[in-house]
Parts: sequence; structure tokens; C-alpha cells
Amino acid sequence: MRFEGTLDIAAPRDRVWSFLTDPKQVTTCAPDVQSLDVTDPRHFKVVVRAGVGPIKGTFSMNVEFTDLQEPDHASVVARGQAPGSAVEMRSEMDLTAIDGTRTTMKWSSDVTVSGMIQQVGARLMQGAADKITQQVFSCMKEKLEAPVTA
Amino acid sequence: MATEIGGIGVSVKRKEDARFIRGRGNYVDDVKLPGMLYMDIARSPYAHARIKSIDTSKALAIPGVLAVITGKDLVPLKLEWMPTLMSDKQMVLPTDTVLYQAQEVAAVVATERYIAADGVAAIEVDYEPLPVVVDPIKALLPGATIVREDRAQKNNLIWHWEVGDKAGTDKAFADAEVVVKQDIYIPRIHVASIETCGMVASFDKINGKLTVWMTTQAPHAIRTVIALVAGHLGLSEERIRVISPDIGGGFGGKVPVYPGYVLAIGASVLTGHPVKWIEDRSENIQADSFARDYHITAELAAKKDGTMQALRVKTIADHGAFDAAANPSKFPAGLFHVVTGSYPFEKSFVEVDGAYTNKPPGGIAYRCSFRVTEAAFTIERLVDVLALELKKDPAELRMQNFIPPEAFPYKSVLGWEYDSGNYGRALKLAMDKIGYAELRKEQAAKRAKGELMGIGISSFTEIVGAGPSKHFDILGIKMFDSAEIRVHPTGKAMVRLGVKSQGQGHETTFAQIVAEELGLPVGDIAVEEGDTDTAPYGLGTYASRSTPVAGAATALAARKIREKAKLIAAHLLEANPDDIEWKDYKFQVKGVPTKSKTMQEIAFAAYTNHPQGMEPGLEAVDYYDPPNLTYPFGSYICVVDIDKGTGEVKIRRFVAVDDCGTIINPMIVEGQIHGGLTMGLAPALYEQINYDDDGNIQGGNFMDYLLPTAMETPNWELGKTVTPSPHHPIGAKGVGESATVGAPAAIANAVVDALAHLGVRHIDIPITPWKVQKILKDNGVAE
Repeated sequence: MRFEGTLDIAAPRDRVWSFLTDPKQVTTCAPDVQSLDVTDPRHFKVVVRAGVGPIKGTFSMNVEFTDLQEPDHASVVARGQAPGSAVEMRSEMDLTAIDGTRTTMKWSSDVTVSGMIQQVGARLMQGAADKITQQVFSCMKEKLEAPVTA
Repeated sequence: MATEIGGIGVSVKRKEDARFIRGRGNYVDDVKLPGMLYMDIARSPYAHARIKSIDTSKALAIPGVLAVITGKDLVPLKLEWMPTLMSDKQMVLPTDTVLYQAQEVAAVVATERYIAADGVAAIEVDYEPLPVVVDPIKALLPGATIVREDRAQKNNLIWHWEVGDKAGTDKAFADAEVVVKQDIYIPRIHVASIETCGMVASFDKINGKLTVWMTTQAPHAIRTVIALVAGHLGLSEERIRVISPDIGGGFGGKVPVYPGYVLAIGASVLTGHPVKWIEDRSENIQADSFARDYHITAELAAKKDGTMQALRVKTIADHGAFDAAANPSKFPAGLFHVVTGSYPFEKSFVEVDGAYTNKPPGGIAYRCSFRVTEAAFTIERLVDVLALELKKDPAELRMQNFIPPEAFPYKSVLGWEYDSGNYGRALKLAMDKIGYAELRKEQAAKRAKGELMGIGISSFTEIVGAGPSKHFDILGIKMFDSAEIRVHPTGKAMVRLGVKSQGQGHETTFAQIVAEELGLPVGDIAVEEGDTDTAPYGLGTYASRSTPVAGAATALAARKIREKAKLIAAHLLEANPDDIEWKDYKFQVKGVPTKSKTMQEIAFAAYTNHPQGMEPGLEAVDYYDPPNLTYPFGSYICVVDIDKGTGEVKIRRFVAVDDCGTIINPMIVEGQIHGGLTMGLAPALYEQINYDDDGNIQGGNFMDYLLPTAMETPNWELGKTVTPSPHHPIGAKGVGESATVGAPAAIANAVVDALAHLGVRHIDIPITPWKVQKILKDNGVAE
């Protein structure tokens, strides 16, 4: 499955970049984070609880920034498992500075889901993905558009 | 008199129903033993992946989890692989690679079922996904992902099998006036029996005896397989007892050995406790043996007048990751070469390539005698394609070509010897019952008004009752079957058989055979099956073989008893045995009905007053090796109406005329046909297990896999003709599978017939509303 979209954020590009490429910051917007373990700046492991309809699971995700071209392009591969299910996400992100205070993020994500969630939840997947995406992005906007505190 | 004793031809009420309708059946999951543990299985979410590591520590930390078994644990026991019934091997648990989604990866043994499931959820497996091949046609192309790296042969071809005269057939096609060709896909389906598979294994460490209660259609064969697989661990056959209690439907799905069985036995040996393993529904549909999955290209050569001459069939058979079909060893594609059906082809050539894919293993015969459904569907669909090509009525084309009744026993061009048949009589009866000529008029009138109505025929020939031991074996064990009868002093009898009922009503029908042969009331005859410690050795119940093989053994064992009883009668009547005759279910002095002895009187004498010099007692055993298979047949006619808005196919009428030779219990036969027709309707319109490109199962639960219920099932109208088998002791042929074999083509032919004027020649089953609606839309007739 491929998901893609564009998001306008009222924050400067360098701020958006540093937020999205910092495991500690970006995971604050991931759904229901149980734990975070940063191996190095390009690798981290995050445990999240997520589900599709009635099928919920704790996903242990290994995330790698496979390509970081500061300040505008990043590629991320996240691979994880829950009991009986597995998920792989390959995502791309491009940032464009509209002006000094506003940034457009163009993103896409190829998601492969295997196992029970795919079998039972296939027809609910789109809805669930939209919901999670919306939550994540509104969280990001909120955090990035908040006044900078020292 | 036959009615009073409940002999052959009487609709005796099923003895087994007294417990079933009260909910008092005894299934594997009803078995509860002291100290029993529970096993659950962790399965792969990937269709193809390397296992980098398995972390069981969190599972083992759960209170109540006693053991976790992985593939590595099985290596020192040499149990990580097991043989399939088809000269292949299958993983019990993988040591490094999983080959299909839902494959077993680890087993958890715990004090409670729920704790076992928690243990499964706590197992962490690190997988590295590998490329997946799900399409068997692509799997056979050069450069395809190799499914079985363990094999020396580095491609996905399991075997190539062919039969017939290739050159002669090719020539017949080259010379033919008319040739039709059709690609036909018969999709992967699942038997989906209401009871899933399961086992209770109980290993007694003191005396080394293993007792298993399990859902198997072939308990003796399983006992031998256990001894072969685990003999090196000290499980020897005289100390293995397999009990098949009541079974809630088998349909071929309970013939193979599944990894769960081996693991449950291993878990009991390991822990010293009884261990219960019961699959859940999704595990059953996703991982147990599938059926069908044949990609067929069929060609028929004929004269312009419709005379059929030659048949050429090429098939790719998808067997998944392991060839775990349950065919007789010499026939990797089963009895598919009965594909010439009810017609006297002069030339034929059939070839089948078996292919490995990243899908669950199998290729079992779903309520059919080893690929016969695929064969019957192919020929009966193809005959209709020819009828369309020649613009001939499909009934007329069949009547013109049938093997004539005087030609039996008939040797088919591909080597079968059909025992008896009268195909024209069966089709004529079906046409009369449904009012065929009137329906064709109605169809023409409706078509003129734009309404869609179709009539479909299937005049199938089955091949069942494997089999003559010279051709048929499973793992080398010849496909005979057996019966043992003991007549007790009070004139009651116990019959034990090597077959095993899964709902067929053996406790009634086999008692009726004995009642008929010995003159004992059916109620006085107990039938027992499924316990290898007591029953004589047999190959089990599948492929409609119980009545043709074990039924024959029963009749012959009874006749052995009757021969001895005759000598006792002569002794009691003080007459010469030559002067004694069997009449009206008792022995009498010829011509003197007043001087007679009943079987009950003789039974008592066999233990109290037997002739000196004769062995006391009254019992017999028969191991029956049939001289030939039996060939039941039938003609089915289906009438459908199609909703131009939704594309839904509605079956208006369905007439099924079956001929299974001598009928033992008409009520049970009707019940078998009703069930079989519903299981023939299922793949025609509803059922399919599909996979996406990543090998994810689409249809691994009852939300996506539509089993027909009473809501979908039309009213079945039955008829019969009786053409006994000349070589079977009572003339019976077997009927359990005829309807499943014959029905799909009748339904598919009816739908194609309804759309034929739009140029439609074939639609792959299941014919879903979506497929029909698309055809209607493409032709501008959708509403």
C-alpha cells in the first residue's frame, strides 16, 4: 500500500528538519510509544501499540534513516513485528521552504503488512492508516508551530 | 423381511444420530485427561523469510508456560522434517527459513489453553523477508525464486507426469475438423470441516506406550507413519494406539499428518503429561491442506457432426511449499486421467506439472477421489464449449457421444476399465424430471425479452474405491481394507472396520450389510471403528472407498460366517450340509420350511453345541483387495436466473440423478448427495482462497471465505438409476463424493449458458456477482 500527501507547517525548514530527523523528538508524535532505544543518530528502536479495528498489537519497530540530505530530503525504513503480524514501511520526505517561517513537507510511504493484521484487517487498513497519519501530523504541527521556548 | 431386519435398501434411521442430536458425541476436544497440558503454535506472518533468531525467554517467563519447542530443539531428535505421503518431506518446524504464511514456527506448552496462547504472543522472532513466488506459472519460469533450497534440484518443478499417446493425439488434432480450446482455473479451496484438526497425545513413560486421540480419517496409516517417523526414538508400532473418536467432517483434510500432531506427541514425550492441541478456525483454513488449485488448458477435437475424437489436457498443479497431497504413490496427479469422462475418445494425452510456491502445502482430494473433481469439471465444461462452437444443444451433444451401455466393461483410452454404466438413461431421467424441452422454450422467450436464464448440464463419471493393490498404495501400504465380525452367543454381533466414519453413517450402513448377509436385526449389530488396538488394519475413509472396499470386506466376512453357520445348521437339523439352503434370512432343509434354524440359534450353538471337530465360535475377518475401482455416475441439470443489476446468480432448480449401484440405505444416500451438492455449489459460486503478491492469505477466515449455509443453498431435487457394479459383492459403488464432483460444472455451465448469446464461453469459478456484473457491464446489458 502506498500513502502520500503534503503538509504545510508554519515553522522554518531547519526547525522542521531537526525535529523530524531526531529520534527523540519525532517519536513523541508516534502513536502510543512504549519505549525508545536510540542506537546511533541513524538507528533507533521504538515500541508502539497500534492496531487496525479489533486487531491490536505491540509493534517493535527497528527504524533506520537510510538517506539524510540536510536540509530537504530523508529516507526512512522501519521494520517491525507484532505477534502473528509484520510491517515494513519505506518512507520518503522532501521539505521545501516557502519562506523563512513556513515549510511544505511532501511525503510518501510504502507499507507492506503481513500476517493477521493484513488478513483480518485489510478492509479497515485505509481508514486506520488515515487516522494514524492525521494524529501524527496534527501532533507535529502542534509541536512545530508552538512558540519556541528557551 | 428386509424391512424388518433393516437389510440392504432400507432407510434405517442412523444409529449414530441418537448421540449426535443430543450433543453427546465424543470429539477430540471432549477428551480430558488428568494432568493434561495445552499446546499452541506460533506461526509465520511472512510467506518467505529467513529466521535470524527466535527469542523464547519472555514466553518461558510467563507463569504456567512449561516449554517452548523450536526447530533447533527438534534437530537432535531428527524430527525437524517429516515425510509427506507423496515422496516429499515437510518441515515440522523450520530451523532457518519459513516457506509460507501461517507456517508453524514454534510450539508452546502450558498448563492452560490461554496461557499457551499468551506464550505464543510473547515469542519474538527476527525475520528477514525473502522474495515470494505465489503464482505456479511464474514459479516454473527460469529465474523464479526457489522455494525449496533444501532440494538438489534448483527449480520449482516437483514432478512432470503424463499419460496417453502424445503423437497419436497430436495427429488427431492436426487432422480434426473442429478443435476447441479452453483455459480453466480451478481455484484453491479448503474443506473447512466444522471440527478443526486436533490431538490429545498421552505418553506413558513407564511402559513406553503412546496413546493419541486425534482427528484422522486413517487411524491405522497414521499409527504406521508415527512408527516410521519416530521409531528411532523408541516409539514402536505395538506400543502406539491411535484412536479416532467422533469426527466432525473430514472431506480429505484429515488424511495428512500435520506438524501439530508431531509436536503434540513430542510435547507429551518431553513433559510426561498428556498434551492437547486443537487448532483454531484461522489456523485450520490458513495452514492445513488445501484442495484443487489446478491451472488447466484443455482441448477437444471433434468432427463437424459433433463426434468427439481426441482430448488433450495440460495442467500446472500448485502444491504449495511441500507436496503434501494424499494421492496413491504411483499417481502424483491422482486419478485426473479419468478426464475423458463419459465419452469414448479415441485418442488422449494428459500431462501435469507439479509446482512449488510460497503457499501452504497440500493438494488433497476435497470430497473427491484424488483430483476427480478437477477432471469432471474440465471435461463437462469443455463439452459445453464444443456445443457452443457447433451451435448444438449440450444435452443432444452428450447423448450423441456417451459410451453406450453395451460397451461396458469399457476400457478408456487412458487405461481405466469402467465397470458399468448407462449414461443416457441417467441424463434422460434428469431431462424428464426438470422438463428440459420446456425450459429451452422458456429461455428463448426470456432472451427475446432481455432476461437472463441459463440451463447447465453435467454428465459426470466418477472413479472411486481405491483400489486394486497392484496399482494403489500409500507409502507402500496397499489400499485394501478390512472387516472383522464376531457373532456373540446370544446372536448379537460386533463389526470392526479398518475405515473410519466422519459423518457418513458407517454405524448404520455396515450394520445393514451384515443384517442382510446374516439375517440378524440391524439393531443387534454394533459397528466400531477408529481404535487401532481393536480394529483390523485398514487404509481409512476417503475417496469414497469405504463401501466399495470395506463394505465388500464386510459382506465377504459375513459370508464366511454364513458358510460356517450352514455347517452348524446341518448339524442341528441332522441333515447333510448339501441339503441346507439359505432362504428368508435363515437356514432350512431344502423344501422343508418348518425344518429351519435362525442365525441366533446357530450362534448359540456355535458356543454351546458345535459339531465335534469344528472350531467353536462364530467370527471371521476379511481383508478385501478389490479387483477394480468402481465408477459411479450421474447427470445433473441446473437452471439459473441472473440478476442484471447485481450480477447475482440465483439457482432456480437443480435436479441431480445419481447412479451409485446398489443402494444400502436410501436415506443416507440422499443425505450424502444433499451435502455433496452443497459442497459442489460452494466452489462454483462462493469459495476461493487467494493470495496477494506478498503471499498474504486472502480468505483465511469465515469473514472472507464464504461457506454456503441454508441461506445460499437451493432446493435439491434428486433422482436415481441403479446400475450395480458387476465386481462388487453387493453391487455398490460409493456415493459420498459424486455430488461434489458433478455439481460445479452444472452450475458453471448454466451461468455460461445464460450469457452465451453475449459471446461468453467460459467464466472461472467461483462465479461471483462481481465477475458476472463486469460481463454485463462490458456488454452493455447491466441494469
